[in-house]
Amino acid sequence: MGFMRISAFDAFIIALSGFAVVFAVLAIIYIIIILISKILAASGNKTGDKQEFKTDKPSENKDISYGGEVALIGVDEKTAACIMAIVSHETGIPLSELVFKKIKAI
Amino acid sequence: MQFSIITVIEKILLESGFAALGKDPRTIIMLIIACGLLYLGIVKKFEPLLLVPIAFGMLMANLPLTGILDEGGLFKYIYFGVEHAIYPSLIFLGIGAMTDFGPLIARPSSILLGAAAQFGIFTAFLLALALGFDGPIAAAIALIGGADGPTSILAASRLAPKYLPPIAIAAYSYMALIPMIQPPIMRILTTEKERKIKMVQLREVSKKEKIIFPIAVTIFVVLLIPETAPLIGMLMLGNLFRECGVVDRLSDTAQNALINIVTIFLGLSVGCKALASTFITLQTIEIIILGLAAFMLSTVGGLVFGKIMCKLSGGKINPLIGSAGVSAVPMAARVSQTEGQKANPANFLLMHAMGPNVAGVIGSAVAAGFMLKVFGA
Repeated sequence: MGFMRISAFDAFIIALSGFAVVFAVLAIIYIIIILISKILAASGNKTGDKQEFKTDKPSENKDISYGGEVALIGVDEKTAACIMAIVSHETGIPLSELVFKKIKAI
Repeated sequence: MQFSIITVIEKILLESGFAALGKDPRTIIMLIIACGLLYLGIVKKFEPLLLVPIAFGMLMANLPLTGILDEGGLFKYIYFGVEHAIYPSLIFLGIGAMTDFGPLIARPSSILLGAAAQFGIFTAFLLALALGFDGPIAAAIALIGGADGPTSILAASRLAPKYLPPIAIAAYSYMALIPMIQPPIMRILTTEKERKIKMVQLREVSKKEKIIFPIAVTIFVVLLIPETAPLIGMLMLGNLFRECGVVDRLSDTAQNALINIVTIFLGLSVGCKALASTFITLQTIEIIILGLAAFMLSTVGGLVFGKIMCKLSGGKINPLIGSAGVSAVPMAARVSQTEGQKANPANFLLMHAMGPNVAGVIGSAVAAGFMLKVFGA
């Protein structure tokens, strides 16, 4: 195999081009994501968002909002964090799959 | 024929594994290492799902006279799945079914953090070459920096089969040690002010976007680098199972029963190749050190790019999410969350860190595809 022993220069070029390829591929995926979003947003506007995509579990998967913020009403942030951790622990659902919109003191 | 109980007992003892153990003291060291790994998996809970079968496979393979690795032996056939990259690909199917690409789609710029965090792969590649490893072996070792067990195994099985056990064990050990390895680097490379940054809520992601994403990524990436097909293809198929909503049974099987079964086979296969003759060598120590360097440099790459994005966004991006660009899902994202909350208890970085985290899975698969393209047969 020609690459079994490679010169320092070739090694550097391989490393650099490899890193560049990873960056380029992910950058293109970035563009693909934006294009998909824009096309879907445009088609959604055209149809007035009337067509809902049917799934067998629409309530679970429909347009999930990923919140870094939770509306806290009468609850401090430390207590809210505890509540979220407890809910995750007790239900066995990872925090990454839980979405909290509002935590309100009763 | 004269029967003597003493002769029978003597024969049993002389032909037993105990007698054979003395012939190669390194075998005893391997048994101790296997027991040590079992301890780490069971008591310390370091990646137990993988470490327990790997360690037990190592234990069984190093017990003398079993013939378990010879033609007709159990492990000979189980190892077929690693030799032909079947298990890593099936593991990726399960990972895809468990992964939510929503945070990545919601903030696509975070995909670049997943690219930056592959920095360790390419720097470790140069370090491995400097230590005298051949190109393909250096590439296989470097991929430990991707913090992605299946990718490391697939690359090692094709580029450096002889070094598969130390590479796999190093990869999974460092993934388990993420909560210890990453935080000091995160604190050194970021300021208190940066760690306190609260990131804004991500936009809503539609169901259609989530369904089109795996299909579009598969077509584009596999057309560009066909060597990524086993990993990217299966990862995206699993994700499509999850998101399309019409094959719930397949999704459930992929993320539970199937991945559990394959994990057993994968663990045993990796462990059974960790024999004294190939494992107790200077190269193993070098691989373990290089793996750690790769892992740390990947974390550095993600964090530095996170700082750049923080500056460019006018302080809206917390650079801590950069370290999650190494692909250990979701542990690396959890570490970002933990460190962010230490600086600011009101900080919830988990979902923001999941974007670069899942991008890292794609990034490491692309890096592996590149290495296979350059060094593959």
